Amino acid sequence: MSSDGAGQGAVTGMADRSEPESRTDDDPERSGATDGAETVIESRDLDVFYGDEQALRGIDLTIPEHRVTALIGPSGCGKSTFLRSINRMNDLIDVARVEGDLLFRGKNVYDEDVDPVALRRKIGMVFQKPNPFPKSIRDNVAYGLEVQGKTDDIDERIHTALERAALIDEVEDRLDESGLDLSGGQQQRLCIARAIATDPEVLLMDEPASALDPVATSKVEDLVEELAQEYTVVIVTHNMQQAARISDKTAVFLTGGELVEAGDTNEIFENPEHDRVEDYITGKFG
Amino acid sequence: MAGGTAEPAEPPESAGMTGTEEVSRLRGTLFEAVTLGATVFGLLMVGVLLLYVVNDAVRPLSADPGWHLVFFLTLVVPSLSVAAYCYTREGPAGEVAYATFGLPVVGLLVGAGIVVVFLEVVSVADWFGLALALVAAAGAIELHRRLRPYAALERLAVLIVAPLVAIFGVPALSVDRTLATPLTGTELFTLSFSTPKLLPGVPELFTSLPVLPLDWLLLVVSLTLPVAFAFGRIVSRRREDDRGRLETVAAAGAVALVGALVAPTVGIDAAHWVVLATTTLLPLGVYLEGVVRERAGLAGLWFPVVVVAGTLVGALVVETVGFAGPDPWLDWGFLTSATSRSPADAGIYPALVGSILMLVVIVVSAFPVGVGAAIYLEEYAPNSGPLGTFVTLVEINIGNLAGVPSVVYGLLGLAIFVRTFDLGNGTVIVGGFTVGLLILPIVIISAQEAIRAVPDSLRQASYGMGATQWQTIRNVVLPRALPGTLTGTILALGRAIGETAPLLMIGAAASVRTPPNGFFSRFSAMPRQIYSWSSEIQPEFRYGVLAAGVVTLLVVLLMMNGTAILIRNKYQRES
Ligand SMILES: Nc1ncnc2c1ncn2[C@@H]1O[C@H](COP(=O)(O)OP(=O)(O)OP(=O)(O)O)[C@@H](O)[C@H]1O
Ligand SMILES: [Mg+2]
Repeated sequence: MSSDGAGQGAVTGMADRSEPESRTDDDPERSGATDGAETVIESRDLDVFYGDEQALRGIDLTIPEHRVTALIGPSGCGKSTFLRSINRMNDLIDVARVEGDLLFRGKNVYDEDVDPVALRRKIGMVFQKPNPFPKSIRDNVAYGLEVQGKTDDIDERIHTALERAALIDEVEDRLDESGLDLSGGQQQRLCIARAIATDPEVLLMDEPASALDPVATSKVEDLVEELAQEYTVVIVTHNMQQAARISDKTAVFLTGGELVEAGDTNEIFENPEHDRVEDYITGKFG
Repeated sequence: MAGGTAEPAEPPESAGMTGTEEVSRLRGTLFEAVTLGATVFGLLMVGVLLLYVVNDAVRPLSADPGWHLVFFLTLVVPSLSVAAYCYTREGPAGEVAYATFGLPVVGLLVGAGIVVVFLEVVSVADWFGLALALVAAAGAIELHRRLRPYAALERLAVLIVAPLVAIFGVPALSVDRTLATPLTGTELFTLSFSTPKLLPGVPELFTSLPVLPLDWLLLVVSLTLPVAFAFGRIVSRRREDDRGRLETVAAAGAVALVGALVAPTVGIDAAHWVVLATTTLLPLGVYLEGVVRERAGLAGLWFPVVVVAGTLVGALVVETVGFAGPDPWLDWGFLTSATSRSPADAGIYPALVGSILMLVVIVVSAFPVGVGAAIYLEEYAPNSGPLGTFVTLVEINIGNLAGVPSVVYGLLGLAIFVRTFDLGNGTVIVGGFTVGLLILPIVIISAQEAIRAVPDSLRQASYGMGATQWQTIRNVVLPRALPGTLTGTILALGRAIGETAPLLMIGAAASVRTPPNGFFSRFSAMPRQIYSWSSEIQPEFRYGVLAAGVVTLLVVLLMMNGTAILIRNKYQRES
């Protein structure tokens, strides 16, 4: 497992900066919040195409273990695409094509011998739009456990997952009602509960708080910070304050599918290297 | 239809001159009138035709005017006024009225169908043996699931083998064949061996027991209790307690038991009573329990009471005064007797049973194949590459196949099932397979549409949870697509039951005196029987009996379409 900046040997054009304190590309030292963390996921020169359209261009990014990594950037810049290419959800899109390497614990997930189903059991996902199954709340959370065959202590696991997703108080006595009868924000927390019930190693969250009110949002934020104790979290958000509050590392994508800057969150927000990033963060464009 | 025609009436915005505006408005109005006229004309013609046929079948004018008057006063006026009252009332009274009336009617029809099957096709003991075998097979499959949860391929084998072994056992095998080269006919070697029967199937074991329990007891165990258990789930969920299920099962068992002991004294077969009570009283009881407990729409309960009381009172009055009732062609005798040389004795019973058995074959063959094909085409088939092109071609041609004339399918059935596979001339199974083939494209297309309508976000959610493709299809796609598939299939079955041309081609009997007693016996179906009545010389056949047959066929069809609509409505309410 590579915990150093070896992936940055392949840096082309825009650099992935995991080392905010020194501004040189070839400094292997890590520091700040991502200090000492092992790299779980690493993309090397990753291109993603939808048909002839290129959605991601040469992305080099490392994602540290047990940290929250935020992906930010304007709409349509490829954040969801990057997230989907980590657990091979892009396989489901006919026109999507991936080039380059994406390593999960040192193993390229696009190798022939990688089973995407097994991969997705290790890398859970919460989607941009809440998408609960038209089943009862209980069955929604139980779904992943059942398909993965983790059916021992299932009631307890369901309860714990709902508790951690800050939903249990609202649904405790209506577990048999349909998940679709919940409010949008509750649905999103149900989807989070569903994703963490199976204990994945990495959790990919695509704007989990976009449908939530401030109270529920702060609950989800607390949850994300708590999850980072045990899991590696990659979170897409449009909310700068949110990214600044909860993430340890931030990657800024800009229009065209390029990764402009990545590094320690404080560094990115206080002292970004690129003017375009500064403009984006301060709201001048995007 | 008329709604869509309003568009041309809109004046074009660019028309500055009032002249063109007026012309286009006039044209629009004219167009609207013409389409409206066509619609009304079409509906009227169908309505008149139906009235005509129903009049011929029922002959209401053959009754005394007094008879009509009595029933008008005792039945029609009171029930219509109760219906109107319920309809105008706030709340669910109207729904309660029509459910409490409709449920027993549908239940009786279903029950009658089951009774006919027990009379003509399987004995109760055979059925019980079959049920036992299926339970044993299900147990074996469940056991395998518990013991080896991950062996998917193995489970597929168990899924196929377990029911077969449970039903048929391991049968004796004997082969005696001489293999020869195809061209010159030189004998190569003779393959000849036989194995003794290794294991009898569960049904065989059961029926070979020295003492069999009474028929009705078997039915209580194999029909009433499972159905009561299923309904009990509804009660339990509705009341949100666990006692509901137990109570339902206990009540259903008690009613069936008491009835079975009492029924023979009034001349009803105990087994028939158990079937009818299960299909009629059980759903009605469960529904009434809900209505009474929630005290919603209690007024609607008067409707069935008024209808039944009105009929009884009317019958009593007519009897005492001595008014003669109508002499319809469509009566109990028509439904329960075979066709005959004399129109007065002619009936449709064997053809009715034949149609229903054929429908069973169609459902069992066309539904799984059609849904399987749709799953492959929508979920597995590649969209690109040479195979993708081929699949697109197949999809286009499935659409074309839906439009191929039914005679052609008849010919195909004759060639394949009668000549090649030698399943017999005009047997139920050949008829079912042939007509099944005919509706297969419709089943595939409706299933495809239903599958396509399942939102992609649900599939993604499932894959995102680490589900395999089959798990996703089974747990997410199929349950969502089932109602739509069922609706399409039932409508296709409606078409299947009226098909005549394929039956002519495969040699279904013009008319038979006894109903088919299995899937390999010759049969006649309702449309085939109606067709042969139309060429009888006596006018009573062509005007009376034929009309009665058509009305019977239409009623069966209406019931099937009604079921389809119910399923669709329920589905629309849920999603
Ligand atoms: N299924 C698809 N087929 C074709 N093009 C797609 C598909 N999904 C995304 N794209 C394209 O890829 C680009 C990146 O999309 P993506 O969804 O990754 O953006 P995003 O950063 O998540 O935006 P948002 O913040 O609005 O969610 C867009 O130009 C989009 O049009
Ligand atoms: Mg997105």
